[in-house]
Amino acid sequence: MPDSLPLLLTPRMEPITQSVLTEGALLRQLTDGLGSPLNVVLPEALDDNVEGFRAVYRHHRLRGQIYFAHKANRSSALLRHLAATDAGVDVASLGELQHALGSGFGPGRIMATGPKNREFLWLAARSGITVNADSLDELSELAALVAAGRLPRVRVMVRLAEFASRGVRMVSRRSRFGVPSGQLSEALDRVEKHADQLELTGVAYHLDTIGLAEKAIALESCLVALDECRRRDRAAWSIDIGGGFGVDYLADGQQWERYTSELAQAMLGRRAPLTWNEHGYGLRNEAGTLRGTLGLYPASRPDSGPGYLGRLLSATAPEQRRPLGTLLLDSMCDLDIEPGRALLDQCGLVLARVLEVREGADLLVRLDLNARDVSLEEHGVLMDPVVIPRDGNAVPETTEVYLLGNLCLESDLITRRKVVLPVRPRPGDLLAFVNTAGYFMDFSATRALHQPIGRKVALFRQGGSWSWCLDEHYWPVHESREAA
Amino acid sequence: MRYEDMTEAIGNTPLVRIDPAVHGLRNIDLYAKMELLNPFGSLKDRAAWQMARPLLAGAAERGDTVVELSSGNTAKALAMIAGMHGLRFKSVTNRMKVPEVKDLLLLLGAEIDELPGQAECLDPSDTEDPLSRMHRTLTSNGSGYVHTDQYFNERNVEAHQHGTGPEIVKDLDGRAPDYFVACVGTAGSSTGVARALRQHDPDVRVIGLVAAKSDFIPGIRTIDEVHEVGLFEPGVYDAIETITADEAIDGLLTLVRRCGTPAGPTGGGAFHGAVRHLRTVDAGLTERRTAVFIVCDRVESYLSYLRERRPALFGRPPRRNDTRGLDEAEIAAAPTADVEEARRWPGLVVDLRSPYAFQALHIDGSINIVDELFAELLHGGLPFSRRQPVLLVCPVGEKSARYAALLTRMGHPSVRSLAGGIIAWRDAGARLVRD
Repeated sequence: MPDSLPLLLTPRMEPITQSVLTEGALLRQLTDGLGSPLNVVLPEALDDNVEGFRAVYRHHRLRGQIYFAHKANRSSALLRHLAATDAGVDVASLGELQHALGSGFGPGRIMATGPKNREFLWLAARSGITVNADSLDELSELAALVAAGRLPRVRVMVRLAEFASRGVRMVSRRSRFGVPSGQLSEALDRVEKHADQLELTGVAYHLDTIGLAEKAIALESCLVALDECRRRDRAAWSIDIGGGFGVDYLADGQQWERYTSELAQAMLGRRAPLTWNEHGYGLRNEAGTLRGTLGLYPASRPDSGPGYLGRLLSATAPEQRRPLGTLLLDSMCDLDIEPGRALLDQCGLVLARVLEVREGADLLVRLDLNARDVSLEEHGVLMDPVVIPRDGNAVPETTEVYLLGNLCLESDLITRRKVVLPVRPRPGDLLAFVNTAGYFMDFSATRALHQPIGRKVALFRQGGSWSWCLDEHYWPVHESREAA
Repeated sequence: MRYEDMTEAIGNTPLVRIDPAVHGLRNIDLYAKMELLNPFGSLKDRAAWQMARPLLAGAAERGDTVVELSSGNTAKALAMIAGMHGLRFKSVTNRMKVPEVKDLLLLLGAEIDELPGQAECLDPSDTEDPLSRMHRTLTSNGSGYVHTDQYFNERNVEAHQHGTGPEIVKDLDGRAPDYFVACVGTAGSSTGVARALRQHDPDVRVIGLVAAKSDFIPGIRTIDEVHEVGLFEPGVYDAIETITADEAIDGLLTLVRRCGTPAGPTGGGAFHGAVRHLRTVDAGLTERRTAVFIVCDRVESYLSYLRERRPALFGRPPRRNDTRGLDEAEIAAAPTADVEEARRWPGLVVDLRSPYAFQALHIDGSINIVDELFAELLHGGLPFSRRQPVLLVCPVGEKSARYAALLTRMGHPSVRSLAGGIIAWRDAGARLVRD
């Protein structure tokens, strides 16, 4: 039976986000002065997120480093603020490495991952960071650079892939990264061959899945790999399990369940469409049966971030039948992680101005930003923006709208979903896309059509109220400035 | 009764009246169709045999493998049938959540492929799920697979239309029941039985039960998942109602404890859903009615499922000499030895870590008793002489402190816990060996 209540997808907003949204005058002033779209980052929200992961480490008595996956956001403010905590940073390009070094991270707290060109390897070797090697040839290329420059030994980890499960076969997606775990001894041979240039500190994996069982197999395989290192008298003590801990985006899981149920009904033609041109987000109607798969991020994930890590560490290793966290500890192994979006939970929002509200068969709201400025749709995350009225007075009126972008392009919808807003937007209002610091803020933004890329500002609390500065001007020293 | 093989024992299950004192309905006779008495253990035996039978000819000669997307009873039945006909069986699933069922399938010689979880970094342009891809491989010619395709195979429905349904009518002396309540899994049984019953009486009311969306009841689909089933036709059901795992377990307990029926959660859910629905009509009735629900399978395969959701049902008396009986003060007072003292330890060194980690690196001369095993030993009493000094070793000195406290309480005079554990030992540069 079609559900007639409004299909809200209310974002989960922690007190810091709520507090920023009450600053309507400040947010309007900022977008007036700096233009729409405007990216707002909240560096101090990082502290709770780092602490959340640390609490899981403490609970399992584990040591090791939390490396922030820099690719999730280019912000300087976030990186510099993080440099003032005990976390590290995972860099995946030459530019990111330069940024990390310039933001206050010492080489001991930087890990290079992903595909690397020669320049990236050179700076990594020069600066003495840890290199998480993606292939055997990368190990050799790095060793050659170290030898040529007569540099000290570089710490390396070997990223493994294609883990075999014994007994029940676990099918995993193919990955373009890493050394097949079956070639571990070749990788160790390669490290030994370059023993004067490379120092093996451990092994790594990163799986693009939310499936715990696959990760359990990979983690146990890494323990076996570490044992092989020890058998060869290579004192390697770390396992890097990458990221993929996820974020819980919605305040109410019931809303997500209702929305996805109704979307299925809409695709089967049993209720009015919920999407632009009856887009199915991967679902399709074949003779009355629903086929395909829902291509959406599971926006309601109560067990995400630190909670997900905790669950992985408590999961029983398929072969040794002890909790993975216990096995890590038994083996005196340090655990390194590389969370991206999970560390940026509640760390920022994107503001956009409403340009036009067009009546018709559907109410169309045209915004001064495009789908790449806040790439929720590209990443399959559905959550409602928050209306910040132009004059501070909002008249509650549940309104269904489509959100259009500022590109001269049919496909430029901020989301193809019909969005339900509790307040009818008017031209001049702002829409706040909250909790978008992780991957949705600057990951895909382009200057297509000479449209500007949003400026980025950092908001921070000073003397009991919110202050701001341009992202590039933020250094985590404002408190001491205040004290002086 | 004499049969040529077990498949002949499929079907003709009894229809058993549920004691009104149990269900409390005054005007309705409630009957259970005892599908748990099928030879391979469930209702799915019927569909599995009906679907597999026409595909068997020549399959053994070709060396084909029977394959089905199933994580439960259909897989179990097909594995048995495949085995009887010299074929291999493979189950492809992302829903294998009940460990006993998985173990049983492996015991039957089945091969299991588990599908991956959703990608964390989503690629929305990739709308082909692993299941669709798998499906394509299976249906291509000469694949070596015999695919029974339970969610789309009309023979799944026929098994019940010509078997389960008519049996119910026969046992009710040629009348169809007024109400039929069934859990919806593949929709095969509910659709097939409904068709047969309505041939006798078009007014039969059919109630379909689905699981709440975030819930998990093995064998029942959620309200969304039923739409992915080719056999599911909403028109079959007069009402579709939701049951929770909690309600299914309540129903299971009633059947198990009061009705002499060792039903699994699906049967429990059907019973609970039936009574809940019928209670609303019972009061207004002036003449007698009959209702039938299906008990799909047996309880034994779901013990871990039940243990996880109702741990209180499995409460056991506390065992003696248990570290959980220690208080914080006792643990804090546990005698410890630092690395220096440990290096000169005169007695036994017991390493409580996993055998694997122990073999990789350990303190020279130590012995390994993994903590779980050590805990078991201590329930029985002191496993070594009081005159033997014992140093306990664990990763960070936490578990070993608990056991040192417990051994002290048990009267061992010279037990110590290595302070900071083997990690402190390593960090102090003390020697670790590998034999």
